[in-house]
Amino acid sequence: MQTPFGDPSGNQRKRSEPKDDSLSGALEQDSSRDERNEEFRSDQGFLRRWFVIRDAPGSIERLLLGVGCIALLLLGWHLLTMGEKPVLKPTALPSLPDTAQSFHSLWFERALARGAVASLSRVLGGFLLAAAIAVPLGVVAGCYPRFHAFARPLSIFGRNIPIAALIPLSLIWFGIEDIQKVMFIFMAAVAFIFFDTTQSLRLVPGHFLDTAYTLGARTNWRQGWKRASKFGLAYAFLAVIGFYWMTKKPVLQAGYLPASGTLIRSGGGFLLGTLLWLPVHNHQAISKVLFPLALPYVINSMRLLFGLAFGYIMLAEVINAELGLGKIILISQRQGPREHIYLCLIAIALLAFGIDRLVMFIQRRAFPYVTHGH
Amino acid sequence: MDIDPITRSNLSARHDPEAEAGVAAPPIVEFRSVTKTYSAGTRRAFTAIENVNFTVEDIPGKGEFIGILGPSGCGKSTILRLIAGLLPQHPPTAGEVLVRGKPVTGPSSERGMVFQDYTSFTNRSVLDNVAFGLECAGMAKRKRHQLALDWIARVGLDPDRDRRKYPHELSGGMRQRVAIARTLILHPKIILMDEPFGALDPVTRTQMQDLLVGLWRELEATVFFVTHDVAEAVYLGDRVYILSNSPGTILSEQSVPPPDGPSREMRRENDFQDRVFEITFLLEELEAKAAAGS
Repeated sequence: MQTPFGDPSGNQRKRSEPKDDSLSGALEQDSSRDERNEEFRSDQGFLRRWFVIRDAPGSIERLLLGVGCIALLLLGWHLLTMGEKPVLKPTALPSLPDTAQSFHSLWFERALARGAVASLSRVLGGFLLAAAIAVPLGVVAGCYPRFHAFARPLSIFGRNIPIAALIPLSLIWFGIEDIQKVMFIFMAAVAFIFFDTTQSLRLVPGHFLDTAYTLGARTNWRQGWKRASKFGLAYAFLAVIGFYWMTKKPVLQAGYLPASGTLIRSGGGFLLGTLLWLPVHNHQAISKVLFPLALPYVINSMRLLFGLAFGYIMLAEVINAELGLGKIILISQRQGPREHIYLCLIAIALLAFGIDRLVMFIQRRAFPYVTHGH
Repeated sequence: MDIDPITRSNLSARHDPEAEAGVAAPPIVEFRSVTKTYSAGTRRAFTAIENVNFTVEDIPGKGEFIGILGPSGCGKSTILRLIAGLLPQHPPTAGEVLVRGKPVTGPSSERGMVFQDYTSFTNRSVLDNVAFGLECAGMAKRKRHQLALDWIARVGLDPDRDRRKYPHELSGGMRQRVAIARTLILHPKIILMDEPFGALDPVTRTQMQDLLVGLWRELEATVFFVTHDVAEAVYLGDRVYILSNSPGTILSEQSVPPPDGPSREMRRENDFQDRVFEITFLLEELEAKAAAGS
């Protein structure tokens, strides 16, 4: 009897075969087998498999499907804008060749790459600042329910105010320079990072804590101070570098002495870092068990939040930015060419996607014991 | 190198210095009219154990192996967690839990615990899991890893092949071996085991029982072993406590023959089977009584 079961791609089908046998009566077996073979062959049909619940495609098929989506979009775009009398006028949607040709001027005259770097560094600055403060606080709230109850109103408030409404506030508080854009991202992200960190810590199962205790995990102030002061040093360094990067004011005076502002910033950074991380490191059950177990989930949520923050920077950059993707879009809208807007949007999406994949790759390497993306 | 005093004494002195000096040592564990009620004073108040009394003497140079049997939800785990000093069971609502004559104030590595859930830290390799307690005690990395490798071998894992594995790469039985190794490496005076083999298949379970008996002989610790399985309690235990249904109290205390041979052979003996039958019968009676009472 000819059988399609030898087909190597039919592995999954093959396994479910005996079940089918038991379902169909013994009398009908022969005829039903032929029918099933028919069905099986058509099941192999590409279109049919679209409608099999949870029938996962292979990696190449997945890629082709994604490329197909993009191709379809571009085709639609082209059909709508081609010819002498396009369906959509060039003012509404520029034609595909025109858009592609305008890339040259976007890259060289509008400095797309430099703009992207400027935008990215603002988001990164604000986001890292938010994480530097919200992560240790979130760990404390996630471990000590009373602190959580205390901080909850702030966290709820911070997550529910509309982000765009923070723009005027950030202008009032921080002016219109780069610092305002960085602080806007900080204000937008800090409550979310705090909340997600707290949740990640709270979700670590209690039996890990019980185990840690019965194995002797205890408070250890000496170890706490030692480790927290290392974080303090890192914070001091970042405070000095970060301030220099945003203001370009000299770090040193007379060539080698630290400027007075530098002293204040490094001292403040050291104190802040040490105090924020001391409660995380002075209990072994947190520093050795709860925090490391929650860390992959903290990082994962930050990866998702970073994507959002990257979107929000455009809001801030329409106000007085010398460089930046938001600025390019604004100028393109006012002075043209409009093609640049579309190219910028594509560039932003590609950049965000690239960063997301990069962080995901690092996550997989750093936390081999966690399965991501499920 | 700084080891805290508890661990140092655990590592070096296997014998209780007081006992050696001829002073009568206090009982290793004593429950004095212990009651635990959750959400006391509210409508959801639930009494897990009521008026539990027992004393386990510290037999120098040899600990006792105490099996705790009882229907599910009778507060077996509550008793263990009270000895361990773990929240939310600790502190008791009434009565006193004494360990070596002193009230339990919180958890300590002196009272090791093996849980039914797989509690190996998922972010640590087998080696770092086993060395965890020593790491907390501040032992230097080289030394604790050496000791850990020794213990990995003693619980029947392969030090070369398994040391770098993460818990998710291990089978259930292997994970419980890790859990046993990292508890025993600290030489606790009291070992609390909350149905540690409950989730294992029967063959693995028998292997683990034999492993435990072998290790326990060397350790001279007092073991409290909670289980559903009457045969397991009879095989492993010197004594078996039988608890009644909620609120739990100790209804009966049975002496059973100590494990002299491998589990598989002992189970075949007539005496053993009679004992298992007797205790099973007792438990069934209890359940019937509880069902009639409620």
